Amino acid sequence: MSERPEKKRHGMEADEVKEILGAVSTEVPGLIKSIIASVFSEEAGKNMGKAAAAFYKELKDGGMPDAVAVKMTEDYISVFTSLGDVLKRAGGSGGKVRFGVSKGKTGVESEEGTEGGTVAQEVEREVERRVKQRLAERRGEEDEEDED
Amino acid sequence: MGRSLLIVSVISGAVSVVRLLSSLGVIYLTLGWNVRRAKRAFEKELIKQGMPKEDAKRMSARYAALKDEALNALKRSIRPFS
Repeated sequence: MSERPEKKRHGMEADEVKEILGAVSTEVPGLIKSIIASVFSEEAGKNMGKAAAAFYKELKDGGMPDAVAVKMTEDYISVFTSLGDVLKRAGGSGGKVRFGVSKGKTGVESEEGTEGGTVAQEVEREVERRVKQRLAERRGEEDEEDED
Repeated sequence: MGRSLLIVSVISGAVSVVRLLSSLGVIYLTLGWNVRRAKRAFEKELIKQGMPKEDAKRMSARYAALKDEALNALKRSIRPFS
């Protein structure tokens, strides 16, 4: 008696899996293709080149020496291409990317890479310090009231 | 009735998986071509604005290296599941 609903359930599950696989096989390649095209296409390369070339031209027009202008443009491009570093850090720290503040330096840092700790840790320390200070003040006031 | 439905579902599921893998394979194979085209367009724009050819080539190589970095990051992210 109970075999029939069981079979029906298995049939429905298989049907659902079939539908999911069908949707995944059509949607996922399109998604990946569009992500890749946003970085690696003739249009994207041209736009990035235009931005870098405009930057270089401005520096040259401003009287910057050629070597310095090239170096600065290289640094400018590394802003676009630092995506790889971000992914590397994300992969290296088990998917945790923190916005860290170390001594005199801000930016995206992994948990291991920061010297002064993350922003969250600093905020936590500051809040703790202030709470302790406030409690001490309150205790002092209470002691004064008791003495009166 | 139920068994035939199950067989049809399994076959169409397998077809979907094969289709997905073949699409991903085509994307992987065409990636190199897309990167080369993007690199050439990038280099061309830099040279157009008066940048020396060697410097433009060095910069475009950095741009192309992004592909390897992205692929390595992808491999690293897949590794924990295997």
